Amino acid sequence: MRSRLFKPTLIWLQGVTCNGNTHSFLNLPYLPQLLARFEVLYHPLLPCSQSLEEIARCRRGCDVLVFEGAFDPMMERAGVTLERLVAYYAEEAGHVIAAGSCASFGGIFKAAAPERNSGLAYAGEHPDGPLLGKAGKVINLSGCPVHPEWLGFALMNIAEGRPISVDALGRPTALYRHMAHDGCLRNEYFEWKVDAEQFGRKEGCLFYEHGCRGPLTHASCNRTLWNGVSSKMRVGTPCFGCTEPDFPRRNLFETKTNMSIPEEVPVGVSKRAYLTMTGIAKSFKIKRLEERLTDDD
Amino acid sequence: MMTRALIEHIEGEASLYFDTRGEKITWAEIAFPHFRGMERMLEGRKATDALVITPRVCGICGHAHLMATVRAIEAAYAQAGYPVVLTRKARSIRELTLVLEMIQNHFKWLYLVILPELEKLGVGGLSPAPLKGAYAAAQATKILALFAGQWPHSSYMIPGGVTCDPTHLERIQAAGLLDELIGFFEKETAGVGLDALLSFASCREFNPLQSDLGRLEKGLIATEMHKKGMAYDRFVVLGEHGFTVRARLKHTRPMKADPCLVSTEPAVCRDETSHARNVRYGKHFYEVGPLARSISADTALIKNMHRRYKDSVYTRVMARAYETAVLLQHAKTLLAELELSEPSYVPPVPLERISATGEGIVEAPRGPLMHRMRLERGIVAEYKIITPTQWNLGSSVMSDPAPAQKAMVGAADIAEATFIFRSFDVCSVCTTH
Ligand code: SF4
Ligand code: SF4
Repeated sequence: MRSRLFKPTLIWLQGVTCNGNTHSFLNLPYLPQLLARFEVLYHPLLPCSQSLEEIARCRRGCDVLVFEGAFDPMMERAGVTLERLVAYYAEEAGHVIAAGSCASFGGIFKAAAPERNSGLAYAGEHPDGPLLGKAGKVINLSGCPVHPEWLGFALMNIAEGRPISVDALGRPTALYRHMAHDGCLRNEYFEWKVDAEQFGRKEGCLFYEHGCRGPLTHASCNRTLWNGVSSKMRVGTPCFGCTEPDFPRRNLFETKTNMSIPEEVPVGVSKRAYLTMTGIAKSFKIKRLEERLTDDD
Repeated sequence: MMTRALIEHIEGEASLYFDTRGEKITWAEIAFPHFRGMERMLEGRKATDALVITPRVCGICGHAHLMATVRAIEAAYAQAGYPVVLTRKARSIRELTLVLEMIQNHFKWLYLVILPELEKLGVGGLSPAPLKGAYAAAQATKILALFAGQWPHSSYMIPGGVTCDPTHLERIQAAGLLDELIGFFEKETAGVGLDALLSFASCREFNPLQSDLGRLEKGLIATEMHKKGMAYDRFVVLGEHGFTVRARLKHTRPMKADPCLVSTEPAVCRDETSHARNVRYGKHFYEVGPLARSISADTALIKNMHRRYKDSVYTRVMARAYETAVLLQHAKTLLAELELSEPSYVPPVPLERISATGEGIVEAPRGPLMHRMRLERGIVAEYKIITPTQWNLGSSVMSDPAPAQKAMVGAADIAEATFIFRSFDVCSVCTTH
């Protein structure tokens, strides 16, 4: 482990973005402690020692490069193309963090300009980004936006000199091994195939009709809650699969079905087995799961 | 154009081009260089997909975009002859989360932007603590997330209501967190109780305050910001909410406002391609945002400031900071009056039946946000977004400057002009989308 006195330098650059990852990061409960572990040379919002114009001169590298937003080679920051900025800082840095789905896979802004924009190492699920050759350095923290705790986890590991193991898409396994479905309060309804009859109710699962991608999405939103308190499914919104390379899909509030069976089944489950299981599960009539859960109204 | 200044820490960047005589600013043009194509990517998609995509226009006011989208879809339903039923509960929850987003915005702007920038103008003793802003903002978004699932980028408002189904457990948790946030605001930001602050009727009442707000007020006077940065002294508020009133104002005199008269055209900057647009009401530029909202809502303190110092930087900045208090109080009321027994959602007819146009208008942190869409059988045929920053931060010709341009002319030097620019709470991503 590195000595406590060593402070890695950090630069946070932005590509084509909405700044959502920056704002998400500000929600990290231990933000002051985390920032104290780094020497922040540049950040688009937080106090830092250099200006964007200084950074754009490309004179001094950094240990950690955080990149937010999709990569558009021709886009300029302070008059310098992203192509040059990213190439320069990624060369020097020991770690490159792609913060959010745009930086990881292209995300929303790849969908807006597919011919130009990509993620750092991937375009969608294809290893096809400008940092492909340095893919070993790039940690993909997908999510739209990135969960602050995921970014905190990656940066703290770097500060502590601990290695981070990643999956086939460059995402830390500790964070993306789970499905968004894991920890969802609606799991019991999922098991017994009880659909949410309509939005605006805490009862029922959103998988069968309402477009929930929880069982198909690698993310720990329901284990590490958003803002410390909630998640989309807890408030009855389907998971839109924002951590996956195909985000944003189409018809996000609907589930594609085939004879009322979801066309896609949970990751790792054979479709045949799933169909059989559904038939059996549906044959149970569980009174508790057909009643409302609260007496507030 | 003589001098170019790159402005950052504004949700992206902007370039300012100044003409000067000596140090003094005689003319300024504004360019926002980044464009992302959000409107186009919605075309051909089902309208409900816009509920997921438009919040991604902006990381700091995505909720306002979500609400503008849902209101626009609901307006299209109404135009098609299928009015959507919204319960009081759904309305209050939507408004509550919107208000919380505004609160987090104002805290960030005050602590991460305005206090540090004011210190750069040479004001001593401000002791800016940017992370205070992050802390308070995170508290606000935590309350928001109890109803909306997460912040940023939630999509819990849908045509017919909201997806959440809160119980008294969430209501009580939210009330507890809100009290904590109000406590922080009273102790750190205001230096006086919320009720007392809300009863202020004159700027003199800031004199004894040993707090961030008190120091801000003194700092603005010390830098003579009460004599600088005047724009048109014409305001417009278009969103309909419980914390303000839709109106068009000349000085403080209110008149009716009709959103149909809003128009846009490309912004002008001779030295750089800008993707911003100019927005006008009728033929004229108007200022939008918290100052406009406070005057329209007849807020005694802000009207007092306006009487003394017109639409100066002082009044504009204080109005935004003070609105935090107004919104905290409003959030408290909304939460206390929340009627949980009503349904959260009343399903409307299938979207496929809707071929119509709809407009959704919301007061976002920086002013009115308008989404206009045309639907063909529930599919988006056209989508247009007009953001608050486009009203304030457009860039036009010398004979007809946009509000921020007008406000910057006459500034003593570039440092002062950029502070005036920031007094509008600049958001680059929203300006261009
Ligand atoms: S709502 Fe989504 S995440 Fe929750 S149990 Fe159902 S499928 Fe899984
Ligand atoms: S629940 Fe799904 S859509 Fe929501 S943040 Fe997590 S992965 Fe993204």
